Amino acid sequence: MRWLPAFLTASLAFASGSLAAKKTSEERFNSFHAKSIASSSAAPIKLSDASYREFTAQPRDYTAAVVLTAMDSRFNCQLCREFQPEWDLLARSWVKGDKSGSSRVLFGTLDFADGREIFMSLGLQTAPVLLLFPPTVGPHAVPNPEPLRYDFSNGPQIAEVVHSWIARHLPDRPHPPVKRPINWMRWISTTILALGSLTASYVAWPYIVPIIQSRNIWAALTLISILLFTSGHMYNHIRKVPYVASDGKGGISYFASGFQSQYGLETQIVAALYGLLSLAGISLAIKVPRISDSKTQGVAVLAWGGIFFVTYAFLLSVFRGKNPGYPFRLPPFV
Amino acid sequence: MSAETLQVLADVGKGKSTRGVLRVIILALIAGASIASRLFSVIRFESIIHEFDPWFNFRATKYLVANGFYNFWDWFDDRTWHPLGRVTGGTLYPGLMVTSGAIWHALRALTIPVDIRNVCVLLAPAFSGLTAVAAYLLTNEMTTYNSAGLLAALFMGIAPGYISRSVAGSYDNEAIAIFLLVFTFYLWIKALKQGSMLWGALCALFYGYMVASWGGYAFITCLLPLHAFVLILMGRYSTRLYVSYTTWYALGTLASMQIPFVGFLPVKTSEHMPALGIFGFLQLLAFLDYVRSAIPSRQFQTFLWLFAGGIFVMSLAALVVATSAGVIAPWSGRFYSLWDTGYAKIHIPIIASVSEHQPTAWPAFFFDLNLLIFVFPVGVYLCFQELADEHVFIIVYAVFGSYFAGVMVRLMLTLTPVVCVAGAIAISTILNNYLVAKTPTEEDQQAAEAAEKKGSKSGLKSATKPVVGIYGLWSKSLMVAGMAVYLLIFVMHCTWVTSNAYSSPSVVLASRMPDGSQHIIDDYREAYQWLRQNTKEDAKIMSWWDYGYQIGGMADRPTLVDNNTWNNTHIATVGKAMSSREEVSYPIMRQHEVDYVLVVFGGLLGYSGDDINKFLWMVRIAEGIWPDEVSERAFFTPRGEYRVDGEATETMKNSLMYKMSYYNFNNLFPPGQAVDRMRQARLPEVGPSLSTLEEAFTSENWIIRIYKVKDLDNVGRDHISATAFEKGLKKKKTTKKRGPRVLRVD
Repeated sequence: MRWLPAFLTASLAFASGSLAAKKTSEERFNSFHAKSIASSSAAPIKLSDASYREFTAQPRDYTAAVVLTAMDSRFNCQLCREFQPEWDLLARSWVKGDKSGSSRVLFGTLDFADGREIFMSLGLQTAPVLLLFPPTVGPHAVPNPEPLRYDFSNGPQIAEVVHSWIARHLPDRPHPPVKRPINWMRWISTTILALGSLTASYVAWPYIVPIIQSRNIWAALTLISILLFTSGHMYNHIRKVPYVASDGKGGISYFASGFQSQYGLETQIVAALYGLLSLAGISLAIKVPRISDSKTQGVAVLAWGGIFFVTYAFLLSVFRGKNPGYPFRLPPFV
Repeated sequence: MSAETLQVLADVGKGKSTRGVLRVIILALIAGASIASRLFSVIRFESIIHEFDPWFNFRATKYLVANGFYNFWDWFDDRTWHPLGRVTGGTLYPGLMVTSGAIWHALRALTIPVDIRNVCVLLAPAFSGLTAVAAYLLTNEMTTYNSAGLLAALFMGIAPGYISRSVAGSYDNEAIAIFLLVFTFYLWIKALKQGSMLWGALCALFYGYMVASWGGYAFITCLLPLHAFVLILMGRYSTRLYVSYTTWYALGTLASMQIPFVGFLPVKTSEHMPALGIFGFLQLLAFLDYVRSAIPSRQFQTFLWLFAGGIFVMSLAALVVATSAGVIAPWSGRFYSLWDTGYAKIHIPIIASVSEHQPTAWPAFFFDLNLLIFVFPVGVYLCFQELADEHVFIIVYAVFGSYFAGVMVRLMLTLTPVVCVAGAIAISTILNNYLVAKTPTEEDQQAAEAAEKKGSKSGLKSATKPVVGIYGLWSKSLMVAGMAVYLLIFVMHCTWVTSNAYSSPSVVLASRMPDGSQHIIDDYREAYQWLRQNTKEDAKIMSWWDYGYQIGGMADRPTLVDNNTWNNTHIATVGKAMSSREEVSYPIMRQHEVDYVLVVFGGLLGYSGDDINKFLWMVRIAEGIWPDEVSERAFFTPRGEYRVDGEATETMKNSLMYKMSYYNFNNLFPPGQAVDRMRQARLPEVGPSLSTLEEAFTSENWIIRIYKVKDLDNVGRDHISATAFEKGLKKKKTTKKRGPRVLRVD
C-alpha cells in the first residue's frame, strides 16, 4: 500500500497545479519566489510533476532554471549526487543575494521520484539535466522559448562554472555571486591538527631525528617514488584509468592492448617487475661482493642473476604484448 | 704464443697515457656511433627538415643568414598570424638559429661551400656527439670508475629517449638544448665541488646559452636551487656552495635577461622565484655562519638557526602574498599544469591538445630507455652509499625528472640524461666487481671479517660490511655474460626503435607495396609546391595551426595561425570557422582575407593524423571563446558517439571541416559505397555540397585538400542561392542534352 500516499499527494499536487495554471505569470513568480526566500534551505524549490508544469508554464516573464536529477540510490547516479550540493549552493547564494527578485530567476529541482511523467514526456535518458527556460514575455523575453540545456559532458561541475553559464544567458540583470560558506569545522580541525603535530614533533624530536636522518628511509622513499613515476602512475592519476578490465570471456584482462593505454593493475605489475629487477641489481652490485663466505656468495650470485634474467625476459614478453612488432625476447618466454 | 699475446693485450691498458689515448678513441667512436645512428632518415628519405616546428626554425635560420643578426633580432614577421603579425625576433629562442648560422659562416670561412639546409639537418646529430662527451664528464664527477663515464656516454649517445628529438632533420631547440643541459649540470657540479668562481661563471655562461636556446631552461632554474636547498636542509651549507651558487645565480640571471623573449621574467614570475629565494637565503646563511664563528655560544647558535628558519618561512609567506596580489606573475599555464595535472584540460585546451603534453604510459618509458629504466634506481641507490654533494644532485634530479617525465611525454627528454648517468654508475659497479681476474684470498676474507666486527659507519644498511670480492670464476663469467647479453639487447633495441619509430620525417610518409617495395607518399610537399606555384605571393592560407609552420616554410605563403600558438583567440577564430556552418564561416574568412583553406584528410589512405581526428580540439578551443555559438556536444550523436557516417549529427554534417573533408569523396566509389578507411565508416550516398568555397587542389592520395574562398557574387546574391541557381541551370542543361544526337556535318 505504499503507492497510496504517493498517489494521493500526486493527485493533490496535480489539482493544485491545475488551479495554479490559471494564475498569471507575475503571481506565479511571486509565489515561488516567496517560497524560495522563506527559509535558508528552501532554494532551490523542490518540484513535482504538477508544480514543474506550473513552474515552467508559458507565458512567463521570468527565467526558470531546473535541474532534473535522480537522487535515489537505485539509479546509482554518481554525477547527480556530486552536482546536487553545488546546485543547492548556487541557488541559495543567488536567492540570498537577490531577495527582491530583481533578477527574475527561479531555481528548482525535480527528482525522478517526484516527476516520472516529466522525465517521460521530455524523453530523458540521462541525469542530471539542467534546463534554463527563458522568459517569453516581459522586458527580458527572447524569441525562442525552447529551454537551453547545460552540457554535463565534462563530468561533475562546480557551482561557479554553472553560475557563469547562467549569468551569460541573463544579460543586463544582476548576477549574485556564489558564496561558499566558510567551513569552520575544517579550519578548526586543521588548526588543532597543526598545533597537535607541532607539539608532538617537539616532544618526540629526539626520536624523530634518527628517522629523518636515516639514509635507508630516504633511499627507500626515493626508489619507491622513482618506481611509481616510471611505471606510469601519473598516467593513471591523470587519465583515471580502470583498475582492471574484463577480457570479454568472463576473465580478467591484466594488460591493456595498445601502446598508449594501460590499467591500474598493469602498472602495479610493471612497478613490481621493475622493483624486483632493481633489487636484484642492488644485491649484485652491493651485497654480493660483501659476502665473505664463498659458497653463500656463489648461491647468491646464481639466485639474483637468475631472478634478474627471468624477470627481464618476462618484462620483454609483457612489452611484446603491448607492442606486437617488438622483435627481442629472452629464453623462458619466447 | 697465445699467452704472450694475452699479456701484451693486458699490458696495453695499464699505462696511464695509453689509457688516456684509449679513452679518447673510445669517446670519439661513441660520438661517431651516436651521430651515425641518427642518420636513418637521411639515408632512407633525403636530407629534409622534419615535422612542424623545425620548419619555422629553418625559415628563421634562412632569414638570419640572409639578413644578418641585427635584422633577425628586430624581425617583425607579417606573413604569419595574419592580420596581426608576429614580433618574431622578440618571441623566439635564438640560440638554435644563431648556432647554425655561426657554423655556416665558419664553414664558409674555411671555404667549404655547404647549404644552410644541410647544416640545419645535421646539427642535431652533431650536437648529440657533444652530449655524449658531456655525459662522460658529468658521470666522472660522480664516481671514481672511468668506465662509468664511458658507459654513460654510450647510453646517452644511443638512448632512444634522446634520439626521439635529435635525429637528422629534427631541427628543433632540443637539438642543442640537451647538450647544454648536461654540460651546465657538469659545470655546476664542478663549481660546487671546488667552490670555484671560475667554474661557477662558466656554468652561468652555458646557462645563458641554454636560456637562449630552449624554454626548458626553467628546469635548470628550478633544479639548481632545489639541490642547494636540499643541501642546506641536510646541514651541508658550505662556503663552496655559497660561492658557486651566488656566482651562477648573479651571472646566469644577467645572461638570461639579455634574451628579449625572457627579459624581466627572472624577477617577475613564479617559476624563477625558487632561484631568487635560495639566493637571498644563502646570503642570510653566510652572514649567520660568520656571526656564529665569532660568537661561540650554543644557545645563541640555536637562536640563529631558528631565526634563519623564521625568515625563510616569512619570505615564503611574502611570496605567496605577492603572487596573490599580482606583483609576481603566477605560474604560467604550461608550468602550472605540471603540478595541478587537471588544470590544463579544463582551462587551457590548447595545451592539453598537444600530443607531447599527454601523460606517459609505462610502455613509453620502456620503449625509450629499455634496460636503463630499471637499472636507473640501482644507480640512484648507489648514490646513497657515498652521498657527497654531487650524489645529492643526482638523487634530486632523478626524483623530479621522473615525476615530470610521468606527467608529460615530452619531458622524457630531461629525464634521459640522469637515467643514463645513474644507469652507467650501476652497470659499471657491477662490471667492476665481476670483471676482475683477482680472487679474494684468505687474508682479504679475514680482514673483512675483522672489519665487520668493528662495524663501519656507512649510512646504508646494505653497505655496512666491507667489500671482499667475487670468488668463483664461474659466477664472474656468468654475470659478465649476462651483462653482455643485456647490453647487446640494449644496443639492438635502440637501433630498432630509432629505425622504426623515430626516423620518419612525417612530411614524407613511407608505405609498403604488396610486393614489399617501399612506396613514398609525398602529398604534403606536392600540395605545398602547388601553393607556391599557383597562388599569389600574398594569398592567405587558413588551416589548423599544426600546418602553419609548414605552409610558411615550404609554400612561403602567409598563414592565419601557426604552431607558435601565442594567441588563443586567433586560433579559436580559425576553430570556429572550421566548425561552423558555411554561412557563419564565410564572413569570418572574408574578414581575415582568407584566399585558400587547407585541410588534411586521411579517409582515403587511412592516415590517422588528419583534421577530422583533430576536429574535436578545434571545437573545444572555439567553444572556450564562444560557448554560445560552438558546442562540443552538438558534434556527438545522442548516444555519445563521434561519427562521420550517415548518422553523424546535423552540426557535424554542416560544419565546414566535414564538408571540405568529404566533398566529392563519394565520386571515387560506386554509388553508396564510399567508405572512410580511417574511421571505417560508410558515408551517405549524397556527399556534402559547398557553396562558398570551391575545390582548388587535391593531392594524389587526397591527404591535402585545398579550397579557394569564392569572391562575392557578381550580381549580389548570397552564395547558397547562387549555387542553387547554378545547379538548377545545370540540371536543365543535362535534360536538354538528352535529345537525339545528331551527327554534325560541315
